Amino acid sequence: MAFVANVLSAHHLTRRFGDRVAVDDVSFDLAAGEIFALLGPNGSGKTTTLRMLAGLIAPSSGSVSMDGQTLGPESATRLRREIGFLTESPGLWDRLSVRRNLSVYARLYGLPQPGKAVDEALGLFDLASRADDRAAHLSKGLKQRVALARALLHDPRIVLLDEPTAGLDPESARDVRELVLRLRHRRRVVLLSTHNLDEVERVADRVAVLRSRLVALDTPAALRARLFEPRVRIVLSEAAQRFAGALQATGAGDVRFDGAEISVRLDGALTTGALVRHLVQAGAEIESVVQEQPSLEAVYLKLLHEDGSPS
Amino acid sequence: MSRIAAVLEKEFADLRENPGVFLPAVLTGLASLAVPFFVAILVPAMTGEPLSESSDFEIAVEMYRSEPAAAGLSAEGAIQAWIFQQFLVMLIFTPVAASMSVAAFSVVGEKQARTLEPLLATPITTVELLAAKVLGAAIPAVVLGTAIFATYVIGVAILGEPGAWHVLLRPRSLAVMFVLSPLASLASLQLAVCVSSRVNDPRSAQQIGVLILLPIAGLLGAQLLGSLELTTEVSLSIAAGLTVLNVALMWLGVRIFDRESILLRWK
Repeated sequence: MAFVANVLSAHHLTRRFGDRVAVDDVSFDLAAGEIFALLGPNGSGKTTTLRMLAGLIAPSSGSVSMDGQTLGPESATRLRREIGFLTESPGLWDRLSVRRNLSVYARLYGLPQPGKAVDEALGLFDLASRADDRAAHLSKGLKQRVALARALLHDPRIVLLDEPTAGLDPESARDVRELVLRLRHRRRVVLLSTHNLDEVERVADRVAVLRSRLVALDTPAALRARLFEPRVRIVLSEAAQRFAGALQATGAGDVRFDGAEISVRLDGALTTGALVRHLVQAGAEIESVVQEQPSLEAVYLKLLHEDGSPS
Repeated sequence: MSRIAAVLEKEFADLRENPGVFLPAVLTGLASLAVPFFVAILVPAMTGEPLSESSDFEIAVEMYRSEPAAAGLSAEGAIQAWIFQQFLVMLIFTPVAASMSVAAFSVVGEKQARTLEPLLATPITTVELLAAKVLGAAIPAVVLGTAIFATYVIGVAILGEPGAWHVLLRPRSLAVMFVLSPLASLASLQLAVCVSSRVNDPRSAQQIGVLILLPIAGLLGAQLLGSLELTTEVSLSIAAGLTVLNVALMWLGVRIFDRESILLRWK
């Protein structure tokens, strides 16, 4: 995927609370049309990072820049106009209707036709039938949907989502994911802070693992390649152990047998094609060949394990 | 201004959905209205002894008769006018109680519902947010205070001696209602806002705001004991003190309503 110029950048962001360093020297760039996931254990500084990016709290050192311009306290208002921030809690006014919740925000963002913008958001998020219901009467999933509608009401270029699917049922979570993917198509910058690795796997272009400082930052595929050697899993129609000798001849270093399955690490010049050829020549009947892909959870846990620093 | 108006719209909509927040102020208002009518009209009517025949009020009649506004009143009317004038200070309790309740409910309510962070993520400035919170509590309080005062004047006009209600429209009365009362309300609501940032229960904030009621009760006592007369000049002097207090509380409020403080320290 080819990205254009960076829209939002964090430069050596550091935030201290007394003696505690919540965020330590974190830098990254976000480009239009990119979905960037921020992962990390509880207390690793994800929300603090989002708040600094949204201009809600100031960094102790380092800076945030938008379109290449460094932002200070005086330009934080401009930054907030460009950002849609979904906070960890939906934060709706419970006694007010869904429509009223949105209309106050439409006016706060100075939209020229607040009523029209609210109607469009209600339609887009499938909330029109609940527009006049009090927010208190909505389910958790619906509240989250209203909060998302509110965050995107002013069509921001930058969208910061703090735990957008936390506590949602699978259907609501899928709706949120689809929305995030739609934002990518509209060339919005999306920064997602989450513990949901499956969600990250499905939507994120790049992943940053945070533990106060940046432990890793790359595409999921690159992180896998960096941490795990490639393996291939071959399923045969009979007991795989029979072909141990044939596999030894290929020079495969790490071979694991499990019934009719063989898992082989692809070392050096050994390719999947060569492996399959050897097995077929040895008389094996192959049912399937799959490149083994460690889950993002395995990648994440390994990164944290290797990092080893206390969170 | 449009952002202040947007938050104000939300504040008023929220209050319309939760009228119970005004209950303490309405009860205070009713009590403030009942006491002077009880003393000046109900007790003489029940006992059959006019106030003008009571030796307790002789001095009051003399004092009051010397004032131009009371010159044309009957003896009973002059005493009623004096009583209604003295108890006017009690009417300040209503807007003070209203502003305290609304401010505490508004700020603590937002904290409890965690609605402040999304609000702060918009382009609204913290001064605009503070102004909206203050106006959102002050406007209903002033409206309620004015309604109670209007009820008081109409009540005196209907139930009191002819002309007794005129004294309630003199500058000294109007200074109490339209200078002292809004300033005291503003001070109490700012105090409630400041305290609300540190507590999670609206009642705790209201209890601190009650501190403003104590000097007002002291004023009433001093008046009734004859050790203080709330003339226009005295009212304006107290108003000057309240203005200084309000400026100090505003300074404190702006600091407390800092974005970072709200997000990181308001627990």
